[in-house]
Amino acid sequence: MTKITIPFGPQHPALKEPENFMLVLEGEQISGATINLGYNHRGMEKAAEDRTYIQDLYLIERVCGICSHSHTTCYITNVEELAKAETPKRALAIRTLFGELERVHSHLLWLGVAGYEMGFETLFMYTWRDREQVLDCLEMLSGNRVHYSINTIGGVRRDITAELSAEVKKRINFLMERTNYYIKLATEEPTVLARTQNVGKLPHDVAIERGAVGPTARASGVMRDVRKDDPYLIYGELDFKVITHNSNDVFGRLVVRALELVESYKMIHQILDNLPEGPIAVKVPMKIAPGEAVNHYEAPRGEDIHYLKSNGTDKPDRLKVRAPTLANLQSVAYMLEGGWLADVPLVIAAIDPCMSCTDRAAVWNPKKGKTEVYSWEEMRKMGIEHYKRRGVDFTRL
Amino acid sequence: MSDFTNEEKIKSELEQKFHGAITNAAVTRSRRVWLDAETAKLPEIMAWLKAQGYNHLATVTGFDEGENLGAYYHVTDTHVIVTVKVKTPRANPSLPSVLAAFPGALSYERELEDMFGIKVQGLPPGRRYPLPEDFPTDQYPLRKDWKFVPPANEVEAK
Repeated sequence: MTKITIPFGPQHPALKEPENFMLVLEGEQISGATINLGYNHRGMEKAAEDRTYIQDLYLIERVCGICSHSHTTCYITNVEELAKAETPKRALAIRTLFGELERVHSHLLWLGVAGYEMGFETLFMYTWRDREQVLDCLEMLSGNRVHYSINTIGGVRRDITAELSAEVKKRINFLMERTNYYIKLATEEPTVLARTQNVGKLPHDVAIERGAVGPTARASGVMRDVRKDDPYLIYGELDFKVITHNSNDVFGRLVVRALELVESYKMIHQILDNLPEGPIAVKVPMKIAPGEAVNHYEAPRGEDIHYLKSNGTDKPDRLKVRAPTLANLQSVAYMLEGGWLADVPLVIAAIDPCMSCTDRAAVWNPKKGKTEVYSWEEMRKMGIEHYKRRGVDFTRL
Repeated sequence: MSDFTNEEKIKSELEQKFHGAITNAAVTRSRRVWLDAETAKLPEIMAWLKAQGYNHLATVTGFDEGENLGAYYHVTDTHVIVTVKVKTPRANPSLPSVLAAFPGALSYERELEDMFGIKVQGLPPGRRYPLPEDFPTDQYPLRKDWKFVPPANEVEAK
Protein backbone atom coordinates (compact mmCIF):
# COMPACT_ATOMS: atom_id res chain seq x y z
CA MET A 1 0.00 0.00 0.00
CA THR A 2 1.28 3.49 -0.75
CA LYS A 3 2.39 5.53 2.18
CA ILE A 4 1.04 9.01 2.65
CA THR A 5 2.21 11.61 5.10
CA ILE A 6 -0.28 13.88 6.76
CA PRO A 7 0.56 16.92 8.83
CA PHE A 8 -1.50 16.99 12.01
CA GLY A 9 -1.61 20.53 13.44
CA PRO A 10 -0.32 23.11 14.29
CA GLN A 11 -2.54 26.20 14.26
CA HIS A 12 -6.00 27.25 15.22
CA PRO A 13 -6.77 30.66 16.70
CA ALA A 14 -9.41 29.28 19.07
CA LEU A 15 -7.04 26.83 20.75
CA LYS A 16 -4.20 27.42 23.14
CA GLU A 17 -0.96 25.66 22.44
CA PRO A 18 -0.12 24.49 18.95
CA GLU A 19 2.15 21.70 17.81
CA ASN A 20 2.48 19.55 14.76
CA PHE A 21 2.55 15.77 14.20
CA MET A 22 3.65 14.38 10.85
CA LEU A 23 1.88 11.04 10.48
CA VAL A 24 2.90 8.48 7.89
CA LEU A 25 -0.13 6.39 6.97
CA GLU A 26 -0.61 3.05 5.31
CA GLY A 27 -4.34 2.93 4.81
CA GLU A 28 -5.80 3.74 8.19
CA GLN A 29 -2.77 2.53 10.09
CA ILE A 30 0.06 4.78 11.24
CA SER A 31 3.52 3.53 10.35
CA GLY A 32 5.54 6.49 11.57
CA ALA A 33 5.15 9.72 13.47
CA THR A 34 7.37 12.73 14.11
CA ILE A 35 6.62 15.66 16.35
CA ASN A 36 7.43 19.30 15.65
CA LEU A 37 7.27 21.79 18.45
CA GLY A 38 8.05 25.39 19.13
CA TYR A 39 4.95 27.14 17.80
CA ASN A 40 4.23 28.57 21.21
CA HIS A 41 7.68 29.54 22.42
CA ARG A 42 7.35 32.76 24.38
CA GLY A 43 10.96 33.39 25.39
CA MET A 44 10.16 33.29 29.09
CA GLU A 45 13.62 32.12 30.13
CA LYS A 46 15.15 35.21 28.51
CA ALA A 47 12.42 37.46 29.88
CA ALA A 48 13.08 36.16 33.41
CA GLU A 49 16.67 37.46 33.28
CA ASP A 50 15.41 41.05 32.93
CA ARG A 51 12.98 40.89 35.85
CA THR A 52 13.33 40.74 39.62
CA TYR A 53 12.68 37.53 41.53
CA ILE A 54 9.23 38.67 42.63
CA GLN A 55 8.27 39.84 39.11
CA ASP A 56 9.41 36.48 37.76
CA LEU A 57 7.03 34.76 40.13
CA TYR A 58 4.10 36.22 38.23
CA LEU A 59 5.77 35.55 34.89
CA ILE A 60 6.39 31.89 35.77
CA GLU A 61 2.81 31.48 36.95
CA ARG A 62 1.82 32.13 33.35
CA VAL A 63 3.89 29.29 31.90
CA CYS A 64 0.73 27.21 32.14
CA GLY A 65 -2.91 27.89 32.84
CA ILE A 66 -3.48 24.57 34.60
CA CYS A 67 -0.19 23.89 36.37
CA SER A 68 0.25 27.50 37.45
CA HIS A 69 0.89 26.53 41.07
CA SER A 70 3.32 23.76 40.05
CA HIS A 71 5.61 26.14 38.20
CA THR A 72 5.65 28.87 40.83
CA THR A 73 6.24 26.38 43.64
CA CYS A 74 9.12 24.79 41.78
CA TYR A 75 10.59 28.23 41.02
CA ILE A 76 10.11 29.54 44.53
CA THR A 77 11.70 26.45 46.10
CA ASN A 78 14.83 27.30 44.13
CA VAL A 79 14.68 30.99 45.11
CA GLU A 80 14.23 30.17 48.80
CA GLU A 81 17.00 27.56 48.68
CA LEU A 82 19.41 30.14 47.22
CA ALA A 83 18.28 32.88 49.63
CA LYS A 84 18.55 30.39 52.53
CA ALA A 85 15.08 31.47 53.64
CA GLU A 86 13.37 29.55 56.44
CA THR A 87 9.88 29.21 54.99
CA PRO A 88 7.34 28.64 57.80
CA LYS A 89 5.86 25.18 58.06
CA ARG A 90 2.32 26.52 57.75
CA ALA A 91 3.17 28.12 54.40
CA LEU A 92 4.61 24.83 53.12
CA ALA A 93 1.43 23.02 54.17
CA ILE A 94 -0.75 25.57 52.37
CA ARG A 95 1.39 25.21 49.25
CA THR A 96 0.97 21.43 49.42
CA LEU A 97 -2.79 21.86 49.79
CA PHE A 98 -2.90 24.02 46.67
CA GLY A 99 -0.71 21.51 44.84
CA GLU A 100 -3.21 18.73 45.53
CA LEU A 101 -6.29 20.86 44.78
CA GLU A 102 -4.62 21.72 41.49
CA ARG A 103 -4.03 18.03 40.75
CA VAL A 104 -7.71 17.30 41.46
CA HIS A 105 -8.92 19.99 39.09
CA SER A 106 -6.40 18.96 36.42
CA HIS A 107 -7.24 15.23 36.60
CA LEU A 108 -11.00 15.91 36.53
CA LEU A 109 -10.46 18.15 33.52
CA TRP A 110 -8.48 15.37 31.83
CA LEU A 111 -11.15 12.78 32.59
CA GLY A 112 -13.65 15.01 30.80
CA VAL A 113 -11.36 15.58 27.83
CA ALA A 114 -10.71 11.83 27.52
CA GLY A 115 -14.46 11.19 27.63
CA TYR A 116 -15.02 13.81 24.98
CA GLU A 117 -12.34 12.47 22.63
CA MET A 118 -13.79 8.95 22.82
CA GLY A 119 -17.30 10.23 22.12
CA PHE A 120 -18.59 9.83 25.68
CA GLU A 121 -19.88 13.36 26.09
CA THR A 122 -21.94 12.66 29.20
CA LEU A 123 -18.73 11.89 31.09
CA PHE A 124 -17.30 15.21 29.90
CA MET A 125 -20.36 17.10 31.15
CA TYR A 126 -20.31 15.29 34.51
CA THR A 127 -16.63 15.72 35.33
CA TRP A 128 -16.53 19.36 34.27
CA ARG A 129 -19.57 20.10 36.40
CA ASP A 130 -17.89 18.43 39.37
CA ARG A 131 -14.63 20.23 38.66
CA GLU A 132 -16.41 23.49 39.49
CA GLN A 133 -16.40 22.33 43.13
CA VAL A 134 -12.63 22.26 43.30
CA LEU A 135 -12.33 25.54 41.41
CA ASP A 136 -14.67 27.03 44.01
CA CYS A 137 -12.32 25.78 46.73
CA LEU A 138 -9.36 27.44 45.02
CA GLU A 139 -11.30 30.66 44.58
CA MET A 140 -12.40 30.70 48.23
CA LEU A 141 -8.86 30.15 49.45
CA SER A 142 -6.91 32.39 47.09
CA GLY A 143 -9.42 34.71 45.42
CA ASN A 144 -8.56 33.31 41.99
CA ARG A 145 -9.77 30.38 39.93
CA VAL A 146 -6.85 29.81 37.58
CA HIS A 147 -3.73 31.78 38.53
CA TYR A 148 -4.09 31.48 42.29
CA SER A 149 -1.02 33.62 43.07
CA ILE A 150 -0.94 32.08 46.53
CA ASN A 151 2.86 31.84 46.57
CA THR A 152 5.10 34.71 47.49
CA ILE A 153 8.82 34.60 48.18
CA GLY A 154 9.16 33.43 51.77
CA GLY A 155 5.69 31.97 52.17
CA VAL A 156 2.10 32.35 51.00
CA ARG A 157 -0.16 35.39 50.69
CA ARG A 158 -3.29 34.17 52.46
CA ASP A 159 -4.07 32.14 55.51
CA ILE A 160 -6.72 29.43 55.87
CA THR A 161 -9.39 29.89 58.54
CA ALA A 162 -11.36 27.10 60.21
CA GLU A 163 -14.49 28.08 58.24
CA LEU A 164 -12.64 27.90 54.92
CA SER A 165 -11.20 24.55 55.90
CA ALA A 166 -14.70 23.19 56.64
CA GLU A 167 -16.02 24.46 53.29
CA VAL A 168 -13.16 22.78 51.41
CA LYS A 169 -13.74 19.48 53.22
CA LYS A 170 -17.45 19.57 52.39
CA ARG A 171 -16.68 19.89 48.69
CA ILE A 172 -13.93 17.27 48.76
CA ASN A 173 -16.32 14.76 50.36
CA PHE A 174 -18.80 15.37 47.55
CA LEU A 175 -16.03 14.85 44.97
CA MET A 176 -14.92 11.65 46.69
CA GLU A 177 -18.38 10.19 46.14
CA ARG A 178 -18.43 11.28 42.51
CA THR A 179 -14.94 9.91 41.89
CA ASN A 180 -15.93 6.47 43.17
CA TYR A 181 -18.59 6.46 40.50
CA TYR A 182 -16.08 7.46 37.82
CA ILE A 183 -13.70 4.72 38.91
CA LYS A 184 -16.50 2.17 38.56
CA LEU A 185 -17.36 3.62 35.17
CA ALA A 186 -13.77 3.64 33.91
CA THR A 187 -12.99 0.10 35.01
CA GLU A 188 -16.30 -1.69 34.25
CA GLU A 189 -18.09 0.08 31.41
CA PRO A 190 -17.49 -2.11 28.29
CA THR A 191 -17.73 0.83 25.89
CA VAL A 192 -14.94 2.69 27.70
CA LEU A 193 -12.84 -0.48 27.75
CA ALA A 194 -13.34 -0.99 24.00
CA ARG A 195 -11.98 2.47 23.26
CA THR A 196 -9.06 2.48 25.69
CA GLN A 197 -7.67 -1.03 26.10
CA ASN A 198 -4.63 -1.85 23.94
CA VAL A 199 -4.70 1.67 22.49
CA GLY A 200 -1.53 3.79 22.52
CA LYS A 201 0.75 1.12 23.94
CA LEU A 202 3.90 2.27 25.75
CA PRO A 203 5.88 -0.69 27.15
CA HIS A 204 7.71 -0.32 30.47
CA ASP A 205 11.25 -0.19 29.05
CA VAL A 206 10.30 2.25 26.28
CA ALA A 207 8.74 4.57 28.86
CA ILE A 208 12.05 4.63 30.75
CA GLU A 209 14.14 4.89 27.58
CA ARG A 210 12.18 7.91 26.33
CA GLY A 211 12.07 9.61 29.70
CA ALA A 212 8.29 9.52 30.25
CA VAL A 213 7.04 11.18 33.43
CA GLY A 214 3.93 11.39 35.57
CA PRO A 215 0.77 9.33 35.03
CA THR A 216 2.01 8.43 31.52
CA ALA A 217 5.05 6.67 33.01
CA ARG A 218 3.13 5.24 35.98
CA ALA A 219 0.57 3.62 33.65
CA SER A 220 3.50 1.71 32.14
CA GLY A 221 4.46 0.38 35.54
CA VAL A 222 7.26 2.90 36.17
CA MET A 223 7.39 3.78 39.88
CA ARG A 224 8.28 7.42 39.42
CA ASP A 225 6.75 10.16 41.55
CA VAL A 226 8.76 13.13 42.80
CA ARG A 227 6.46 13.47 45.81
CA LYS A 228 7.73 10.10 47.08
CA ASP A 229 11.21 9.93 45.56
CA ASP A 230 12.48 13.41 46.44
CA PRO A 231 9.93 14.73 48.96
CA TYR A 232 9.47 18.50 48.86
CA LEU A 233 7.06 20.76 50.79
CA ILE A 234 5.46 18.47 53.41
CA TYR A 235 4.96 15.36 51.25
CA GLY A 236 7.45 13.47 53.42
CA GLU A 237 4.93 13.60 56.29
CA LEU A 238 1.81 12.66 54.34
CA ASP A 239 0.44 9.17 53.95
CA PHE A 240 -0.28 8.36 50.32
CA LYS A 241 0.33 5.64 47.75
CA VAL A 242 2.01 5.95 44.35
CA ILE A 243 -0.51 4.56 41.86
CA THR A 244 0.86 2.44 39.02
CA HIS A 245 -0.74 0.22 36.42
CA ASN A 246 0.74 -2.43 34.17
CA SER A 247 -1.56 -2.32 31.14
CA ASN A 248 0.72 0.24 29.33
CA ASP A 249 -2.25 1.71 27.41
CA VAL A 250 -4.82 4.51 27.53
CA PHE A 251 -6.91 2.41 29.91
CA GLY A 252 -4.01 2.33 32.38
CA ARG A 253 -3.58 6.11 32.14
CA LEU A 254 -7.30 6.47 32.88
CA VAL A 255 -7.15 4.21 35.93
CA VAL A 256 -3.96 5.82 37.29
CA ARG A 257 -5.48 9.31 37.15
CA ALA A 258 -8.81 8.24 38.62
CA LEU A 259 -7.10 6.48 41.56
CA GLU A 260 -4.71 9.40 42.06
CA LEU A 261 -7.75 11.60 42.65
CA VAL A 262 -8.60 9.45 45.67
CA GLU A 263 -5.03 9.79 47.02
CA SER A 264 -5.25 13.57 46.58
CA TYR A 265 -8.53 13.74 48.55
CA LYS A 266 -6.87 11.76 51.34
CA MET A 267 -3.94 14.18 51.39
CA ILE A 268 -6.19 17.26 51.38
CA HIS A 269 -7.95 15.95 54.49
CA GLN A 270 -4.64 15.15 56.18
CA ILE A 271 -3.28 18.64 55.49
CA LEU A 272 -6.40 20.43 56.68
CA ASP A 273 -6.61 18.31 59.83
CA ASN A 274 -2.97 18.88 60.78
CA LEU A 275 -2.33 22.44 59.61
CA PRO A 276 0.72 23.64 61.60
CA GLU A 277 0.34 26.85 63.61
CA GLY A 278 2.52 29.87 63.03
CA PRO A 279 3.20 32.67 60.55
CA ILE A 280 2.51 32.19 56.84
CA ALA A 281 5.48 34.14 55.44
CA VAL A 282 8.93 35.48 56.28
CA LYS A 283 10.77 38.42 54.75
CA VAL A 284 13.39 37.54 52.16
CA PRO A 285 15.95 40.11 50.93
CA MET A 286 15.56 41.34 47.34
CA LYS A 287 19.15 40.50 46.43
CA ILE A 288 20.28 36.90 46.46
CA ALA A 289 23.93 35.81 46.85
CA PRO A 290 25.50 33.88 43.93
CA GLY A 291 24.59 30.24 43.78
CA GLU A 292 22.72 27.64 41.80
CA ALA A 293 19.92 25.22 42.57
CA VAL A 294 17.88 22.58 40.77
CA ASN A 295 14.53 21.33 42.00
CA HIS A 296 11.75 19.23 40.60
CA TYR A 297 8.06 18.99 41.38
CA GLU A 298 5.37 16.42 40.62
CA ALA A 299 2.93 18.46 38.55
CA PRO A 300 -0.40 16.83 37.53
CA ARG A 301 1.22 15.83 34.21
CA GLY A 302 4.50 14.65 35.69
CA GLU A 303 7.92 15.89 36.68
CA ASP A 304 8.45 19.62 36.23
CA ILE A 305 12.09 20.67 36.67
CA HIS A 306 13.57 24.15 37.18
CA TYR A 307 17.19 25.26 37.35
CA LEU A 308 18.02 28.67 38.82
CA LYS A 309 21.29 30.57 39.04
CA SER A 310 21.64 33.75 41.09
CA ASN A 311 24.44 36.30 40.76
CA GLY A 312 24.15 38.60 43.78
CA THR A 313 21.63 41.00 42.21
CA ASP A 314 17.84 41.07 42.53
CA LYS A 315 17.48 39.35 39.13
CA PRO A 316 18.26 35.74 38.22
CA ASP A 317 21.25 35.01 36.02
CA ARG A 318 19.64 32.02 34.37
CA LEU A 319 16.33 30.26 34.78
CA LYS A 320 15.53 27.02 33.03
CA VAL A 321 12.05 25.50 32.92
CA ARG A 322 11.23 22.05 31.59
CA ALA A 323 7.52 21.28 31.69
CA PRO A 324 6.30 17.65 31.84
CA THR A 325 4.66 17.60 28.40
CA LEU A 326 8.02 18.11 26.67
CA ALA A 327 9.34 14.99 28.39
CA ASN A 328 6.25 12.98 27.44
CA LEU A 329 6.04 13.95 23.77
CA GLN A 330 8.95 11.64 22.88
CA SER A 331 6.74 8.78 24.04
CA VAL A 332 3.70 9.91 22.03
CA ALA A 333 5.51 9.26 18.75
CA TYR A 334 6.03 5.67 19.89
CA MET A 335 2.40 5.28 21.06
CA LEU A 336 1.02 6.45 17.72
CA GLU A 337 3.12 4.08 15.60
CA GLY A 338 1.21 0.96 14.58
CA GLY A 339 -2.08 2.41 15.81
CA TRP A 340 -5.14 3.57 13.91
CA LEU A 341 -5.71 7.09 12.62
CA ALA A 342 -9.03 6.99 14.48
CA ASP A 343 -7.20 6.66 17.81
CA VAL A 344 -4.91 9.66 17.29
CA PRO A 345 -7.00 12.22 19.25
CA LEU A 346 -7.39 9.88 22.22
CA VAL A 347 -3.74 8.81 22.31
CA ILE A 348 -2.51 12.39 22.21
CA ALA A 349 -5.06 13.41 24.83
CA ALA A 350 -4.02 10.48 27.04
CA ILE A 351 -0.69 12.04 28.05
CA ASP A 352 -2.79 15.05 29.07
CA PRO A 353 -0.71 17.37 26.92
CA CYS A 354 -0.62 20.92 28.12
CA MET A 355 -2.17 21.97 24.85
CA SER A 356 -5.33 21.10 22.98
CA CYS A 357 -3.89 22.18 19.78
CA THR A 358 -3.63 19.49 17.15
CA ASP A 359 -6.79 20.72 15.58
CA ARG A 360 -6.12 20.73 11.87
CA ALA A 361 -5.02 17.86 9.70
CA ALA A 362 -4.42 18.01 5.96
CA VAL A 363 -4.95 14.63 4.31
CA TRP A 364 -3.55 14.12 0.87
CA ASN A 365 -5.90 11.93 -1.10
CA PRO A 366 -3.91 10.06 -3.77
CA LYS A 367 -7.06 9.15 -5.73
CA LYS A 368 -8.31 12.68 -6.00
CA GLY A 369 -4.75 14.02 -6.18
CA LYS A 370 -5.50 16.90 -3.86
CA THR A 371 -5.15 17.86 -0.23
CA GLU A 372 -8.14 17.86 2.08
CA VAL A 373 -8.08 19.69 5.36
CA TYR A 374 -9.67 18.06 8.40
CA SER A 375 -10.43 20.05 11.51
CA TRP A 376 -9.88 18.49 14.94
CA GLU A 377 -13.67 18.27 15.22
CA GLU A 378 -13.91 16.27 11.97
CA MET A 379 -11.03 14.03 13.06
CA ARG A 380 -12.85 13.37 16.31
CA LYS A 381 -16.13 12.58 14.49
CA MET A 382 -14.23 10.27 12.16
CA GLY A 383 -12.79 8.41 15.16
CA ILE A 384 -16.21 8.05 16.77
CA GLU A 385 -17.79 6.81 13.49
CA HIS A 386 -14.89 4.39 12.96
CA TYR A 387 -15.69 2.75 16.29
CA LYS A 388 -19.48 2.92 15.81
CA ARG A 389 -19.13 0.76 12.71
CA ARG A 390 -17.35 -1.75 14.96
CA GLY A 391 -20.11 -1.69 17.58
CA VAL A 392 -18.61 0.76 20.11
CA ASP A 393 -21.32 3.35 20.55
CA PHE A 394 -21.77 5.74 23.46
CA THR A 395 -25.12 7.08 22.24
CA ARG A 396 -26.78 3.87 23.40
CA LEU A 397 -25.74 4.44 27.02
CA MET B 1 28.40 13.62 55.96
CA SER B 2 26.95 10.34 57.05
CA ASP B 3 23.44 11.50 56.11
CA PHE B 4 24.37 11.58 52.45
CA THR B 5 25.50 7.99 51.91
CA ASN B 6 23.97 7.55 48.45
CA GLU B 7 25.13 10.96 47.29
CA GLU B 8 28.71 10.45 48.53
CA LYS B 9 28.76 6.96 47.02
CA ILE B 10 27.87 8.05 43.47
CA LYS B 11 30.25 11.01 43.78
CA SER B 12 33.26 8.91 44.82
CA GLU B 13 32.46 6.20 42.28
CA LEU B 14 32.36 8.80 39.52
CA GLU B 15 35.66 10.31 40.67
CA GLN B 16 37.27 6.89 40.76
CA LYS B 17 35.91 5.68 37.43
CA PHE B 18 36.65 8.89 35.51
CA HIS B 19 39.79 9.92 37.35
CA GLY B 20 41.03 13.28 36.07
CA ALA B 21 37.99 13.95 33.90
CA ILE B 22 35.85 15.06 36.83
CA THR B 23 36.53 18.12 38.97
CA ASN B 24 34.72 20.15 41.65
CA ALA B 25 32.38 17.30 42.53
CA ALA B 26 30.24 18.32 45.50
CA VAL B 27 27.19 17.21 47.44
CA THR B 28 25.41 20.53 48.09
CA ARG B 29 22.48 19.14 50.04
CA SER B 30 20.56 15.90 50.37
CA ARG B 31 19.82 14.36 46.96
CA ARG B 32 21.85 16.90 44.95
CA VAL B 33 25.28 16.15 43.41
CA TRP B 34 27.08 18.65 41.17
CA LEU B 35 30.23 18.10 39.16
CA ASP B 36 32.28 19.54 36.28
CA ALA B 37 33.28 17.10 33.55
CA GLU B 38 35.70 17.06 30.66
CA THR B 39 33.65 17.79 27.53
CA ALA B 40 35.00 14.90 25.44
CA LYS B 41 34.16 12.37 28.20
CA LEU B 42 30.49 13.47 28.44
CA PRO B 43 28.85 10.61 26.44
CA GLU B 44 30.92 8.04 28.34
CA ILE B 45 29.98 9.53 31.73
CA MET B 46 26.30 9.69 30.80
CA ALA B 47 26.29 6.08 29.58
CA TRP B 48 27.96 4.97 32.81
CA LEU B 49 25.45 6.92 34.95
CA LYS B 50 22.60 5.32 33.04
CA ALA B 51 24.02 1.86 33.72
CA GLN B 52 24.12 2.74 37.44
CA GLY B 53 20.36 3.38 37.45
CA TYR B 54 20.47 7.10 36.72
CA ASN B 55 18.25 6.43 33.74
CA HIS B 56 16.23 9.64 33.52
CA LEU B 57 17.76 12.72 31.90
CA ALA B 58 15.40 15.31 33.37
CA THR B 59 16.62 18.14 31.18
CA VAL B 60 19.64 19.98 29.78
CA THR B 61 20.26 23.61 30.76
CA GLY B 62 22.48 25.68 28.48
CA PHE B 63 24.50 28.56 29.92
CA ASP B 64 26.63 31.53 28.85
CA GLU B 65 29.53 32.46 31.14
CA GLY B 66 31.16 34.95 28.77
CA GLU B 67 34.32 33.20 27.55
CA ASN B 68 32.68 29.82 27.72
CA LEU B 69 29.32 28.42 26.77
CA GLY B 70 28.17 25.08 28.03
CA ALA B 71 25.45 22.96 29.49
CA TYR B 72 24.26 21.25 32.63
CA TYR B 73 22.92 17.70 32.24
CA HIS B 74 20.49 16.95 35.07
CA VAL B 75 20.36 13.18 35.31
CA THR B 76 18.47 11.36 38.03
CA ASP B 77 17.49 7.96 39.40
CA THR B 78 14.37 9.90 40.55
CA HIS B 79 15.87 10.15 44.09
CA VAL B 80 19.21 11.91 43.54
CA ILE B 81 19.80 14.53 40.83
CA VAL B 82 23.36 14.48 39.46
CA THR B 83 24.14 17.65 37.52
CA VAL B 84 27.04 17.28 35.08
CA LYS B 85 28.48 20.57 33.86
CA VAL B 86 30.49 20.78 30.64
CA LYS B 87 32.06 23.83 29.01
CA THR B 88 33.00 24.73 25.46
CA PRO B 89 34.85 27.82 24.15
CA ARG B 90 32.63 30.62 22.83
CA ALA B 91 34.80 30.98 19.69
CA ASN B 92 33.90 27.50 18.46
CA PRO B 93 31.21 26.05 20.71
CA SER B 94 30.62 22.33 20.31
CA LEU B 95 29.41 19.51 22.56
CA PRO B 96 29.12 15.76 21.92
CA SER B 97 25.60 14.35 21.73
CA VAL B 98 24.29 12.10 24.52
CA LEU B 99 21.54 10.59 22.32
CA ALA B 100 23.20 7.17 22.34
CA ALA B 101 22.44 6.83 26.05
CA PHE B 102 19.37 9.07 26.27
CA PRO B 103 17.23 9.10 23.09
CA GLY B 104 14.75 11.36 24.90
CA ALA B 105 17.31 14.18 24.87
CA LEU B 106 16.61 15.10 21.25
CA SER B 107 14.60 18.25 21.92
CA TYR B 108 16.95 19.36 24.72
CA GLU B 109 19.95 19.16 22.38
CA ARG B 110 18.14 20.96 19.57
CA GLU B 111 17.39 23.70 22.07
CA LEU B 112 21.13 24.06 22.80
CA GLU B 113 21.80 24.57 19.10
CA ASP B 114 18.96 27.04 18.64
CA MET B 115 19.19 29.14 21.78
CA PHE B 116 22.98 29.11 22.39
CA GLY B 117 24.46 28.23 19.01
CA ILE B 118 26.32 25.27 20.49
CA LYS B 119 26.97 22.71 17.76
CA VAL B 120 25.93 19.31 19.06
CA GLN B 121 28.08 16.64 17.37
CA GLY B 122 26.02 13.60 16.38
CA LEU B 123 22.60 15.21 16.36
CA PRO B 124 20.53 13.78 13.46
CA PRO B 125 19.29 16.25 10.84
CA GLY B 126 15.79 17.56 11.41
CA ARG B 127 13.66 20.59 12.02
CA ARG B 128 14.89 23.25 14.42
CA TYR B 129 13.42 23.64 17.88
CA PRO B 130 12.11 25.82 19.49
CA LEU B 131 12.66 28.88 17.28
CA PRO B 132 10.53 29.51 14.17
CA GLU B 133 11.79 28.49 10.74
CA ASP B 134 12.31 32.10 9.64
CA PHE B 135 14.38 33.12 12.68
CA PRO B 136 17.93 34.20 11.67
CA THR B 137 20.34 31.28 12.07
CA ASP B 138 23.19 33.45 13.38
CA GLN B 139 21.33 34.78 16.42
CA TYR B 140 21.19 32.92 19.71
CA PRO B 141 18.63 34.50 22.05
CA LEU B 142 19.76 33.00 25.34
CA ARG B 143 23.34 34.26 25.00
CA LYS B 144 23.98 37.15 27.36
CA ASP B 145 24.94 39.59 24.58
CA TRP B 146 21.67 39.04 22.69
CA LYS B 147 19.14 41.77 23.33
CA PHE B 148 15.60 41.88 22.08
CA VAL B 149 15.06 44.67 19.59
CA PRO B 150 11.40 45.35 18.81
CA PRO B 151 10.66 45.50 15.08
CA ALA B 152 10.64 49.06 13.71
CA ASN B 153 7.05 48.79 12.52
CA GLU B 154 5.69 47.48 15.82
CA VAL B 155 2.55 49.23 17.04
CA GLU B 156 2.49 49.69 20.79
CA ALA B 157 -0.55 48.30 22.58
CA LYS B 158 -2.64 50.94 24.32
